Amino acid sequence: MSATTKRSWTAGLRERAVRALPPEKLLPDSQPSYMSSWIYIFGVLTLTSLVVIIASGSILSLKGPGWWHFTGIGHFFNSIHMWSVELFFFFMVIHLWGKYWMAAWRGRRARVWMTGAVAFVVAVPCALTGYVSQQNFDAQWISTQAKDAMNAAGVGSFFNLMNFGQMYSYHVFLLPLAVVGMVATHILLVRKHGIVPPFKLSGPTAAPAAAPAPDPVPLPATTSPAPRSGHEPVPVPTPAIPPSPASGPERNGGSKRNGAS
Amino acid sequence: MAAIFNLNHPAHTVHWHFFTMSVSNVIVIVLMLVVFAVAILAPFPRRGRGEPT
Repeated sequence: MSATTKRSWTAGLRERAVRALPPEKLLPDSQPSYMSSWIYIFGVLTLTSLVVIIASGSILSLKGPGWWHFTGIGHFFNSIHMWSVELFFFFMVIHLWGKYWMAAWRGRRARVWMTGAVAFVVAVPCALTGYVSQQNFDAQWISTQAKDAMNAAGVGSFFNLMNFGQMYSYHVFLLPLAVVGMVATHILLVRKHGIVPPFKLSGPTAAPAAAPAPDPVPLPATTSPAPRSGHEPVPVPTPAIPPSPASGPERNGGSKRNGAS
Repeated sequence: MAAIFNLNHPAHTVHWHFFTMSVSNVIVIVLMLVVFAVAILAPFPRRGRGEPT
């Protein structure tokens, strides 16, 4: 075998990455039609808030506390940072509720659920260290109160809320790195496994579904996309349900184009 | 916001037996529950059926 045809570690890594997450899964051009629900919006809203948090926080860290406390534009960016954090947690909690009641760990999606949960848990101390990094009386009050909780839990010796340098390092580097890493892993796993389908209807409520439903959100039995069928826990028993007239020309058996996903 | 609401006073809290929480936190939690319910119940806008995909 010549040197040019010898398989390098970079080629092996690329092949493994493409095999684990093919481009059509990483950046799909369609999504299942059961995604047409507002409850699926909150994941991307959380992600959007995170982008605003990082952008505004980067500007704040460059300009410093004298800027964010004593200038008008500094107050503005300080407020953007704070309110984007509020929205981040607001959207993330609703996303968490929605996925919990969908049992989103179904279909070999345990790692998707766990990375999302860990991202939430890591985001809490990230916000706490932000509150104690404000450089004002509010930060002093929060740090003196929170340090008692940390001491009671036995972690105060290496997570000292009265140590501004340590808290600031945690807030602007270590914890954001962890949050972004967990969120990125979470999104890649969502792309790999696909979004969780709704629960399969069973019992008396399933019988009327045999009629063509004008429901704007078709049942998953008529819409499950082919590329993700290997991971779906819900089988696709289509014979009892005639296809919707609207699903004829669509690709992927009724999946919709990826517009507002 | 401070110009709209007078924040120069201790926070108002809700007490019920052992339960204690600031009014602002209660408002946020209730708002999250409302938005969650609306997200489940509200119909999602859809493209026209005749539109090519």
